[in-house]
Amino acid sequence: MQTEPYLGEGPGSTSSQNPASASSILVADCGTTFTKVSLLGLVEGQYRLIARGVSPTTFTSPTENVTRGIIQAINEIEYITGRRFVVEGQIVTPEDPSGDGVDLLVSTVSVGGPMRLVVLGGVTRELETLAAQSVSGLHAETYAIPAPSYCATMAPDALAAGVGARPSSSPSHPASWTPEQISAEWERQLARMRELQPHAALIVGLADNPAGASALQEACQLVIQTIKALSQQSESGTYQLPVLYAGAPQFVEAVRRMLNGYAEVTRVETLISQTQLGPVSMAASALYERDVIRRVPGYETLHSWSNAVPVGTASSLSSLVRFLAQHYAMNVTAVDVGSNNTTLMMAGERGEFIPLVNTGVGVGTGLGAILQQVGVRRIARWLPFTVSEEELRQFATNHMLHPQSLPTSQRELHLFQAFAREAIMLTRDAARGENFGQFEADLILATGAALAHAPKFGQAALMLLDALQPRGVTSLVLDRTMLISQLGAVATVAPVAAVQVNENDAVMHRLGTCVVPFGDLPQGQTAIRVGVEYSNGRQVTAEVMSGSIEIIPLKLNEQALLTLYPAPTVDVGLGPGERARAAEEIDGGLVGLIIDARGRPLSFSTNENERQARLLQWMQVIGA
Amino acid sequence: MGMGYPPGGSLVTRIEVQRERRFVGYNARSIPLVYPGQEVLADQPVIRLELLQGGEQAQPDPPVVLPAGLRGQVVKTTARGGVIIQTRAAVLTGNIGAGQQVAGFLTLWQPTHSQPSPVPAGAILVIPGPASFAMLRQAVASGVVGIVAGSIEMRDFEGFLGLDAFDLLNSVDIDMAQARLPSLTLLFTQGLGSLSMPQSTFQLLTRYQGSIALLTGVTSTRYALSPELVISLPEAETQRNWQPSTYDPSLRLGSHVRVRSGANAGITGDIDYFFIHQHRFLSGVQGRAVRLRLADGNTMIVPIMNIERTP
Repeated sequence: MQTEPYLGEGPGSTSSQNPASASSILVADCGTTFTKVSLLGLVEGQYRLIARGVSPTTFTSPTENVTRGIIQAINEIEYITGRRFVVEGQIVTPEDPSGDGVDLLVSTVSVGGPMRLVVLGGVTRELETLAAQSVSGLHAETYAIPAPSYCATMAPDALAAGVGARPSSSPSHPASWTPEQISAEWERQLARMRELQPHAALIVGLADNPAGASALQEACQLVIQTIKALSQQSESGTYQLPVLYAGAPQFVEAVRRMLNGYAEVTRVETLISQTQLGPVSMAASALYERDVIRRVPGYETLHSWSNAVPVGTASSLSSLVRFLAQHYAMNVTAVDVGSNNTTLMMAGERGEFIPLVNTGVGVGTGLGAILQQVGVRRIARWLPFTVSEEELRQFATNHMLHPQSLPTSQRELHLFQAFAREAIMLTRDAARGENFGQFEADLILATGAALAHAPKFGQAALMLLDALQPRGVTSLVLDRTMLISQLGAVATVAPVAAVQVNENDAVMHRLGTCVVPFGDLPQGQTAIRVGVEYSNGRQVTAEVMSGSIEIIPLKLNEQALLTLYPAPTVDVGLGPGERARAAEEIDGGLVGLIIDARGRPLSFSTNENERQARLLQWMQVIGA
Repeated sequence: MGMGYPPGGSLVTRIEVQRERRFVGYNARSIPLVYPGQEVLADQPVIRLELLQGGEQAQPDPPVVLPAGLRGQVVKTTARGGVIIQTRAAVLTGNIGAGQQVAGFLTLWQPTHSQPSPVPAGAILVIPGPASFAMLRQAVASGVVGIVAGSIEMRDFEGFLGLDAFDLLNSVDIDMAQARLPSLTLLFTQGLGSLSMPQSTFQLLTRYQGSIALLTGVTSTRYALSPELVISLPEAETQRNWQPSTYDPSLRLGSHVRVRSGANAGITGDIDYFFIHQHRFLSGVQGRAVRLRLADGNTMIVPIMNIERTP
């Protein structure tokens, strides 16, 4: 069969190839800084990762077409495999008997920046939180801007955080705003909208709110004025601002009339509680795909190449994480530290799911945001040397300007990994919030270059333990292939391939089982005694002092029975002082059996020399 | 031929580009004074501003006009009152900068403590070495519109601008962010630190001393924008047998490159070897690498991702 270059006649045109019988799959991920392409193929009847290519993402000038970066990454795969996949700038499909060409192409996208969603109308703190939760699994940011008349009638504590200066008053006796104050608030909000340049607006508020219909009316006015102002500044003279209406149902027609000719209005369920999160999330997701992803330069070509609609990377990851939790009947936490975003997904075996994409926080273009949010001291506490604020700021600025750069010195690597820790911690704290409580993961799955490409496995393990600070017993797994974020998308066209690659390649790098005693660890004394019985009958006992880390050898394919004897005030999950014996053997890993008795939460000595010495000791023990 | 935006830290000596000359601000409306197809000179007014006071338009006295900054042909006017001009130019992009689009005439400036140099108003000063907070303050006080220098220390950069550099680099509304800055547009070819600009860059700027140029300081990691200086080439250089220099960012054997980050930032050399396999650096990180031959004959192995072509 002669293979012809694909001419891009429409989405999914390559589906002339039955996905179920695909021999080869190209998986492309367009990140903020790098574009990664992986080739999956059949090896002895099982789908495996064959080769990978990486190239800088070509999203901006002078190229302004993401498919160029994809082709450059594919060129690397061609060089490695000796096979041809691109002819005259087009993907060759299907695969021919010589091995040239590919049967399927799947893509995920996280380039293009977050969707900025403004929340308008009668926005209380509760509604603001609900709105944020509805888009937490998307690459999106929410900004609450309550209507001025609504601000004027509500007590300060009840309002969303985005309100301007208010007259002082007690919560039970809200002061009235003068017309001048309302006017000033109106100007402030318009300036804020101009500054944000939102992609979409979510209008919320019930009919019985103190401002009545005025809040919704003002929300519409704000949308109209924003469109007019931003249209003037736009080169094309137009500005699109679609509206999701999740407010009182009796006002929906009035809102449509007001915004007629200005903005497209989509009605969703009135947002009152967590029950309505799903519909709002789906509507926001549709807008994200239409107004952010589809505007990525080169999207049309990418769509024509792909066997499934290109989806957000976070959406793809969420599918896989939920599958793993249910398939293995365990609590799974997945963390992905990217250049401009850090993603944390927690899925429980009973179906609980908390996704969070922390936009703007990452170890490339997102470094500055980390430093701004946590400050110099929190970064410096992870460093086994002294660092000045200027050095940190200069390091962050230079890496923001050149996010593709690799750290070539130990000092740079330590700085880089310190920022990665704080990125994860910021995201963890945002994900947990107030409603979920303590989620203890049975499995922690890590991906993203900062973790996956750490030079030593001990460094990756230590970053995860430092940042996530798990308790009890958990397993650490590293995705060195950086594929897990794409396997959800692969599963939509080739589910068998997704499962097999996941098991054969993506989650192969098990770092080890981790035991983290918590509670009141006795200073200067043994926190826990660990008994290990290997498969060959050999037995090892280790006493781990409070404040220390210990590694007990247990290799990747080894297993052992574990017995834990915590100190009277120390807990490993069954209560203080309660002995624990694993019902089944535990797995080893590339680092080994990790006993982290440093205490929770982690604390550091105020003496600088002592702090640095402790850090070096921990790094040395864990092999970092 | 598109808009032509070479990446940060590059110099293209002959290229045909289009740039929009426009006013940024919410307190005035731009009125184009030219029409598509019209030939314009660099010092020719192309935009008139009408101030907006309380929603009312008001004509300032004397009228405020903006010069083109470029010699070329008007392609079109935009809905926001800008004028897109096509020109044959030399384009210098910097690593970091700040400030709105300005037009001024290039003036070399090498002040010393013993002989403070006079600073002409309306100029874009060219400083081959690093700039300082004191220099920037002196420039602003003298009516200078822009500075192109080798580098600046971060504390001086933020101190002069009066803001956190991260906010500037990550701002959503670039126009609003620039509008709050001091009225001096900045471009630093080597970025933050104490490096001087490459000799070839300084030679080119010296060659065009006295020419009017268009300077934009906007730097954005959110939108991957770099500051830029566009110098329209003199008519004599663009007429007979004019050939644009082809901008080629690809790395080949013999390419002259500069290390743009890390401890060796600023070092330049020629590529004399491409490693096939990934190289492990002192940090332990592995990556594609090249070997550079330095001016003193020594060699250095650096990641491909850490270098960029130099003119």
